[in-house]
Amino acid sequence: MFTQQLVNGITEGSLFALIAISFSLVWGLLKLVNFAMGEIYMFGAYAGWIVVSYITPNLFLALIAGFAVGWGLGWIVEKVAFKALRGVPHIASLVCTIGFSFLFKEIAAAIFGAQTKAMPSFYSSTAIVVAGANVSWLQIFMVALAVGMMLLLQLLFYGTKIGLGVRAVALDYRTAGLMGIRVDRVTSIAFSLSGALAAFVGVLAAIYYNAINPYMGFVPGIKGFTAAVFGGITSIPGAILGGYLLGIIENMSVQFVSSGYKDFVSYLLLIVFLLFRPNGILGKKAKL
Amino acid sequence: MRNRMIALLSVVLALVGSASLWAAGGTGDTIHIALTAPLTGDYAEYGVNFQRSVQMGIDEINAKGGVLGKKYVLSVGDSRGDPKESVSLAQKWTSDPSIVAEIGDFTSSCCLASQPIYDAAGMVQLSPTASATTFTPGSVWSFSIVGTQAYEQPFMADLAYNKLKIKRMAILFINNDWGMDTQKFFKENFEKLGGKIVAIESFFQGEKDFNAVLTKLKESKPDALYMATMYNDGALISLQRQKMGWDIPVLGPSSLYSTELTKLGGSSVNGLYTNVSFFAKDTDPRVQAYVTGFQKRFGATPNFHAALAYDAIYILTEAIRRAGSTDKQAIRDALAGIKGFQGLTGTVTFTPNRDAIKGYKAVQVVNGDFKLLK
Repeated sequence: MFTQQLVNGITEGSLFALIAISFSLVWGLLKLVNFAMGEIYMFGAYAGWIVVSYITPNLFLALIAGFAVGWGLGWIVEKVAFKALRGVPHIASLVCTIGFSFLFKEIAAAIFGAQTKAMPSFYSSTAIVVAGANVSWLQIFMVALAVGMMLLLQLLFYGTKIGLGVRAVALDYRTAGLMGIRVDRVTSIAFSLSGALAAFVGVLAAIYYNAINPYMGFVPGIKGFTAAVFGGITSIPGAILGGYLLGIIENMSVQFVSSGYKDFVSYLLLIVFLLFRPNGILGKKAKL
Repeated sequence: MRNRMIALLSVVLALVGSASLWAAGGTGDTIHIALTAPLTGDYAEYGVNFQRSVQMGIDEINAKGGVLGKKYVLSVGDSRGDPKESVSLAQKWTSDPSIVAEIGDFTSSCCLASQPIYDAAGMVQLSPTASATTFTPGSVWSFSIVGTQAYEQPFMADLAYNKLKIKRMAILFINNDWGMDTQKFFKENFEKLGGKIVAIESFFQGEKDFNAVLTKLKESKPDALYMATMYNDGALISLQRQKMGWDIPVLGPSSLYSTELTKLGGSSVNGLYTNVSFFAKDTDPRVQAYVTGFQKRFGATPNFHAALAYDAIYILTEAIRRAGSTDKQAIRDALAGIKGFQGLTGTVTFTPNRDAIKGYKAVQVVNGDFKLLK
């Protein structure tokens, strides 16, 4: 059953990797963590659910809706928790994002109700069987989409002016400002992008697990953060590596320890890395 | 500076004043009781149903003149399914001298955590749903009307082994007080009948991805899967099991009985076996009156847990009536002595341990609907 766990791990890993990239983006630019990322993921899932349940059962439209909602929420969090609090000790921004996390959860519960809602399935039939493991179309689709998104991001950061701006601000925002880069605008865009990514993953997760509720964002947020730290929060390739490794390790560990403790393995990794190698596997000099 | 101090002081006084006005519900002509339930959080759907049923019951009782000529006043606390929060609420209720009894909480874990507070203060803690066997024996003030897993699981084991002829069973349970109890008793009784448990796995509250654990359970080649989970997790597990292409019979305890299971699980829960002591389609006129009343007022069909909360408020009312007073000790003693109370969820007779033995009926999900098994 190792191949099946590997398949599950790569699929879950794709989700973790994208969330980890969101965290990395924010860290790279602001040296801060957005603890409301899990809740933006959750709102993305609800946006997708609204599209699929009330407008049209079109998966791509759902993904775009999620992306857009995440963009907007990312923008709001940046303006309130980071821009408005510039110059104040960093802890204020961090606590503010935690506040947003609670706020978003309760707003979602108030608007949609606290019950778990069902999300329709797409492409869930088995595509191929590889070495005894069932791989569904949906899993292939998700991994392909995640990889496609990562390639798009690479293109963005290394092939466009705005990407150049983001990299420059991440390297040294003062000098970037002196060079004529509009630091505020770049930060805002990158933050919105990180929210959009998280929400995009939210839609994918909703379809994969067929269920959404206002509290679904907490664990993926933590796991995404763990993956980013594990792989190296200062770099995007690090986030990707961390995400896939975490997904694979978690799913494989179920073979050896009771499945109830698979989270334990992830959190143990987080603690060990924060203690001994806080820059992660690919951390240190690499910046975005 | 002095002006600021005065302003601050007046605000504080105003808040304290209004808070005490708001809390003083229990005066001479009212009976003040408290409800603790998870209104938000992972178990919100159950907690909201508690509140609805208890409120509905209270409104019905008050409309008929209340009990002992006094009307009920209800204070509600949201425990969020978190034992720590349940403890805070217990402290809040027990420090209010006007509150005479408490209904709640939903999970065994929350009830166990707050039990010492109610015990020390001498206040009835009546849980509609706590079924861990360690709960009611822990304090003479603790009561539960759902029937513990020690009574429900022999029924399920018999259903699985004798009726469905299942010999090899895999168990997946939620790792909390209730889940541990349920799987323990099922395993004991199933093995006593001659069955074999080929694999046992658990997960913690909040888990959404069951692919890994289902893969592991599939390896052990069981004849069937026993899910000792609540219905929201049960639905998710079924969906992911169906996606994997793993088609086997699935059974589970009465926690799975809910229209939400079929709504969330869709075709993946067809064929699932569980048991009920409350069936929404029961033709008994009292059940129908409750179900239609609930549907009209709240736009939802009540499930097993909702019906238990309704029974709880009525059984508490009966106890207060028999006690003839709102003295906390008298209420407790009257409650403990109740025998043969006809509730919607079956007959309640409190055992010396203050839990109840209920009757069970097997049901199966057929085409998105629960049908009684013959």
